Amino acid sequence: MIEARSLSKTYGSTKAVDDLSFDVDSGVVTGFLGPNGAGKSTTLRMILGLDRPTSGTVTIDGKSFRDLRWPLREVGALLEAKAVHPGRSARNHLLSLAQTNAISPKRVDEVLDIVGLSAVAKRKVGKFSLGMSQRLGIAGALLGDPGVLLFDEPINGLDPEGILWVRTLLRSLADDGRTIFFSSHLMSEMAQTATNLVVIGRGQLIADTSVDDFIASNTEATVLVRSPQAGELASALAAAGGLTQDQPDGSMLVTKLDATTIGDLALRAGAAIHELTPQSASLEDVFMELTADSAEFHAGNQAT
Amino acid sequence: MTTTLDGTKPRTIPSGRSGFPQLVRSEWTKLRSVRSTWICLFLIFFLTVLFAWIFPAAIASHWTTGKASDRLNFDPVSTTQIGVIFSQLVVGVFGALAITSEYSTGSIRTTLAAIPRRSTLIAAKSFIVFVLVFIVSEITAFIAFFVGSAVLKSYGGKELPANSTLLDQLRSPHAPVASISQHGVAIAIFRGGLYLALIALIALAIGLLLRHSAGAISVIVGLVFVVPLLIQALPNSISKPIQPKLPSNLGAAMSSTRARVTDFGGSLLHPWPAALLLAVYAAVLLGLGIWAFVRRDA
Repeated sequence: MIEARSLSKTYGSTKAVDDLSFDVDSGVVTGFLGPNGAGKSTTLRMILGLDRPTSGTVTIDGKSFRDLRWPLREVGALLEAKAVHPGRSARNHLLSLAQTNAISPKRVDEVLDIVGLSAVAKRKVGKFSLGMSQRLGIAGALLGDPGVLLFDEPINGLDPEGILWVRTLLRSLADDGRTIFFSSHLMSEMAQTATNLVVIGRGQLIADTSVDDFIASNTEATVLVRSPQAGELASALAAAGGLTQDQPDGSMLVTKLDATTIGDLALRAGAAIHELTPQSASLEDVFMELTADSAEFHAGNQAT
Repeated sequence: MTTTLDGTKPRTIPSGRSGFPQLVRSEWTKLRSVRSTWICLFLIFFLTVLFAWIFPAAIASHWTTGKASDRLNFDPVSTTQIGVIFSQLVVGVFGALAITSEYSTGSIRTTLAAIPRRSTLIAAKSFIVFVLVFIVSEITAFIAFFVGSAVLKSYGGKELPANSTLLDQLRSPHAPVASISQHGVAIAIFRGGLYLALIALIALAIGLLLRHSAGAISVIVGLVFVVPLLIQALPNSISKPIQPKLPSNLGAAMSSTRARVTDFGGSLLHPWPAALLLAVYAAVLLGLGIWAFVRRDA
């Protein structure tokens, strides 16, 4: 259980994290979602005591990270996969981490095996691909067999097979009753892997809820309607309180009314229905909508 | 997935807490597993011994034709340790890299995410760096002494009697040689090794304060080579009390068998006070470094 309370971090005049409070529960995968620059990494660094909060607190099972007796045996973290000395072998890198917490060299070989790096254990990590470095970082997080695991963008640089492997791993770690908190700017990743969500934008909390609730409470039911008598149908729907939006291909999107009601109204209006499809918004859409204003850097709005 | 990821079984967390012994082991693994460590340690040995062979030969071959002041200033022990002037830079690079490489690679954050005890981390790092440089420097210093003495002997150098004076040295037909059994000789060589180990700590502290390899190395080069020249350019009244307290002159004092006059005209401190002062420099800088390290974001 990770508890953040009014966590804030200011760098100069920039508020990277602003009065952030959330809980990360045990036994589930909690996704930490936000656009790039939203303050995810800063928050993770504060959880790990790397950065000192300007104000507020964050605790892991009630204790600050710096007060843990054997930190690596209680919290495993992958922050930056490439934050390793390139001239050191994978095994020696992990061994140096293991020794800080009196973890046996045997465990180093075990985690190398778990992440599938045994064959390259003696190779210098500077020669590793980003995907291999990610695996090495995950191995480091697993070293202490910890109850709490933090991953910053763990699927970055992984191939599809690697992504699948990380998803399976995260879920199986959570099934063991561990607390899993992983960040991503990819919504699709959250929908597939996480149960709970902490969403931030510009350092502020946008949502702290389950993935299902998040989608349900942030989407309006939309129905795609295609009719040769679109004009008549639109006025009938409007009269019943529906909102219609014409699409370039002649179809229209209807909100405030469900598909059954639209069908009934169409029959009464004498309009033929060629298509009637309820649209389910993806997490991606919801997220885009929610964070559109809070993204730190916009890509520019020119049409391409 | 293997059984090692079975979180349902109770995790065994040992009693006590992670601290200095664990960190010393980890820091040793870090140092021994990168090539730069072994390159630096080899260069310390190589440069010191190389100059222990070249420099005494140069002195001895011009003994009678050289200046009288050179003969008066001649120290048969420190002459064999002259390579320290160069190897101290390698020591500086080694000490600085021990911490700055963690910043340049970002691994400092990986380290601190595994073990957030910052002052203990630096204590362990300092300990390992000190011990490693100390061992290599001591072995090197004694080998350099024997090499340099053999060179002096090959030019006809003889040991001066125990009760001899500087005047006897001035009149000696050949550059004299010291014997390891002579009073104060072995301990002077020992202090020479200690000098390098303390320089390594000072470099580590500078690296910790600057968190930048090139910056730290520049400061160390400046401290050893540039600052003495700048001080020399100042009026005598200012430079004279400062000069003996510069790290490089403390080093000269430490590997000397007696207090003597330097080329700058300022006198060196006595050997043990010099060692103590250098240790104070190292302690103060490390203290500052740790103070900053604990407060800064990683």
